[in-house]
Amino acid sequence: MKPQSFEHHLRHAIPPTPDPQARLRAKRAALAEFERSHLTRASELNASAPTGRTVSVGLLHLIRHARKLPAPNCVWRSGIASACVALIAVSVMWLMPGETRRVQWDYAPPPNSSLNREGKAELQNPPIITQIRPEEGHHAAHHATLEPENERPPLPAAPVSLPRARKTPSPQTETLAPEQVARVAPAEEIVVEATRIQERIQDVPMSITALPSSNSVSQPPPPSSNVEEAVVVTSAKERRSFLGRLFSRNAPVTLQVPQESRDTFEHFEINPVKRVKDEPVSTFSADVDTASYSFVRRQLNEGVLPQKDAVRVEEMINYFDYAWPASESRDQPFKPTVTVSDSPWGEGKKLIHIGIKGYELPVRERPDVNLVLLLDVSGSMNEPDKLPLAQRSMALLLDTLNSTDTVAIVVYAGAAGEVLAPTPVKDKETILQALNSLEPGGSTAGAEGIKLAYELAERNFRKNGVNRILLATDGDFNVGITNRNELKGFVEREREKGVFLSFLGFGEGNYRDDIAQALAQNGNGVAAYIDTLNEARKVLVQESTASLFTIAKDVKLQVEFNPKTVAEYRLVGYEKRKLNREDFNNDKVDAGDIGSGHAVTAIYEITPVGSKAKLIDNSRYEGGEEAAGDPRGKAGEYGFLRIRYKLPDSSRSKLIEQPIRVDAGVPERIKEDVNFSTAVAGFGQLLRGGNYTGSLTYEEVIRQASGAIGKDPYGYRKEFVELVRKAQKARGM
Amino acid sequence: MDDRHLTGLIRGAQGGDVASFAELLDLHYDAIYRIAWKWCGHRTNAEDIAQQSCIKLATSLTQFRFQAAFTSWLYQLVISCARDWQRSQQRHEHEELPEIDRTPDGAAHPEDHIYLAQLIEQLDELGEGMKETALLVHAEGLSHAEAAEILRVAESTISWRIHAIRKAMSKPEPLMSGGI
Repeated sequence: MKPQSFEHHLRHAIPPTPDPQARLRAKRAALAEFERSHLTRASELNASAPTGRTVSVGLLHLIRHARKLPAPNCVWRSGIASACVALIAVSVMWLMPGETRRVQWDYAPPPNSSLNREGKAELQNPPIITQIRPEEGHHAAHHATLEPENERPPLPAAPVSLPRARKTPSPQTETLAPEQVARVAPAEEIVVEATRIQERIQDVPMSITALPSSNSVSQPPPPSSNVEEAVVVTSAKERRSFLGRLFSRNAPVTLQVPQESRDTFEHFEINPVKRVKDEPVSTFSADVDTASYSFVRRQLNEGVLPQKDAVRVEEMINYFDYAWPASESRDQPFKPTVTVSDSPWGEGKKLIHIGIKGYELPVRERPDVNLVLLLDVSGSMNEPDKLPLAQRSMALLLDTLNSTDTVAIVVYAGAAGEVLAPTPVKDKETILQALNSLEPGGSTAGAEGIKLAYELAERNFRKNGVNRILLATDGDFNVGITNRNELKGFVEREREKGVFLSFLGFGEGNYRDDIAQALAQNGNGVAAYIDTLNEARKVLVQESTASLFTIAKDVKLQVEFNPKTVAEYRLVGYEKRKLNREDFNNDKVDAGDIGSGHAVTAIYEITPVGSKAKLIDNSRYEGGEEAAGDPRGKAGEYGFLRIRYKLPDSSRSKLIEQPIRVDAGVPERIKEDVNFSTAVAGFGQLLRGGNYTGSLTYEEVIRQASGAIGKDPYGYRKEFVELVRKAQKARGM
Repeated sequence: MDDRHLTGLIRGAQGGDVASFAELLDLHYDAIYRIAWKWCGHRTNAEDIAQQSCIKLATSLTQFRFQAAFTSWLYQLVISCARDWQRSQQRHEHEELPEIDRTPDGAAHPEDHIYLAQLIEQLDELGEGMKETALLVHAEGLSHAEAAEILRVAESTISWRIHAIRKAMSKPEPLMSGGI
């Protein structure tokens, strides 16, 4: 497959030619930095009293010196000149009246050089730590980032513990600080650069949390990510004040841009219609996640239609509980229920429902639970629907556990670390106390959050029990491993060791659905989105057994359609879960897991042979389709369903097979469930743009759903009907 | 370029001579960019990392003590900048496809770039330090001892990582995408 080894490729891959402009930019920036660092070094030597020094002193030196420079080429000179202009702008902003921004420069004693391994990266300049006075709160915190570059602990030195700092910051996290970008920019480019700064301003708090006053540092306002709107700044004065506004936290940033949500969803295309003759086999992985529905609900409750990629139809369908018959034994943990009904949105088409209900573990059979809660307590969690909701949700979860189960708590952010060692649930008061003592604050990653959580889980590993990490966050994944692929790999390796990960998402504005999905899928867990305490109750209490106790893993479904009876088919949803045909029998390929009592429902829309509803014409050169009545007796089948799964402790898969009969119909007992799931499927497809739903309207969905509410003990189905009404309204606006 | 000249440039730059530093940049920009590109597999990102590295070079060149080869020291600096860059990108990271080179210089093959991007992704998944190890040993052709020094780990760790990488790479990659 690969003509050459990866080693060869790594060695010989030729990089694309870098942009000459980029090269020039890098050189200019480096030269400006070089100049400045050497000049400030000189000025430091001259200055007898370093305290109270302001940037403008260095600036004067710089300007004076720049004149004397030999100018080997004019590019440097213009670079330096523009750097000066930018620096002036920054320092003007620095000295802006009306704001008490004072940063005291403190010399720290030179770190012990024995900390420097190999001695070759010794620190020459004593590092200077910007100490922020607590009462100055966030203005000062912001200015910490304006600290001159060379006064940071230089790199590449071995990590050095700096006095006063609780955690050694990575010396360079702030290399993209606004000041620096501005410094290297020619004056006429400042406006353009400013937009980049705006994009990066949210990184600022990361670089300052190591400082003692980090708890008083407030989060930046959610940045508006849409910076394409032109911001025309003409005069120098305006430019300054524009920059000032940009940098100043308490002055409102009045960019004329709409507040756009930064929730991130991975884009996907909806499943197309397939011709049975071309591709008779459809394979996908089970999915029990429901995060999409809660997210959609939240958006609709706020009166806006959700972004299309937030709508995953299968998750909306699976949000609801259906009465598919459950299996009686643990060895075959589920049995499929297959029904065939008319499609409400396509005349002449049929819907095939495949319902799976997982075996429900009786309480006495429940394995021990070793649970580690990994909670994000960063400043952004400081909203009623984030940390407080997470705390209340976890308290609910405690009630569902046995007294011998254990719970540990790890937090990440300012107060990083282990909050509670594994504690048996019978000590509920201790757990609750630890849980309720958490307060949002600080803003940076408690570096090794996720690793610590896994460590705790492993230390307390229950061999025949459930070992799981429950990660609760509003989407900030500063959990220690910052590279997304590395994080995925890490979670995967831990899964092999038997520690699984589930994900609970809170709040909005910064929600990273894409990462949540990736993590939960790689960690054999569920991803749920919690928007209300009610939702927490549903996920953590009613479905706690399902989310904690896996009864089958790597569940894959495959349907082979009968070309004699089915012309076309389309799988509704499951776009993110498709598998290759050959993956079905490959036990190495990971797929979704099913927990105790979980239900999974998949819907195919098919066009029977002979129906006028077909979308794809016959191929000219193939024979006409034969009418039903095949003597081999398979004409009575639309297709054949195969399900592969592994028992939780096994690595070999088992197979369940069942034909899909043309005359399967819908048993009376589950009619309402079939109708309701159909309505949800219709609604989801409408939200995604309704490419295949013909003339289906919200009105029609409401009618269908209202007629199929059934018992609905918790009111979820009634709520759904309300939601469709809200979508109707939101669309009308 | 002979060593004496390079040493002269470094000493000059350490003493504050702008022209020496500029020449040093010119001489090493391509190498810096190449490492950055093989680290991230994406042109504009590599340019960003290279710029950060150049700036860092300006401030930390004085710490170079001639105890190791300048290039080794430079690798260390670029890798460190690349990691910091990654951290700063994390919050607004989006899946980006590898950018295919637009310049028709004939030497670059788009499929090579895509393959490299996949390689990088696989290496990332193997865990901390694996990509850097592969980069130094395979891409830059350094010895295990040199790589160990740059990454500040034991030489045996590098050897073990190289073994683990080879083992992981010889496994066929399960594909999760495809038609329904």
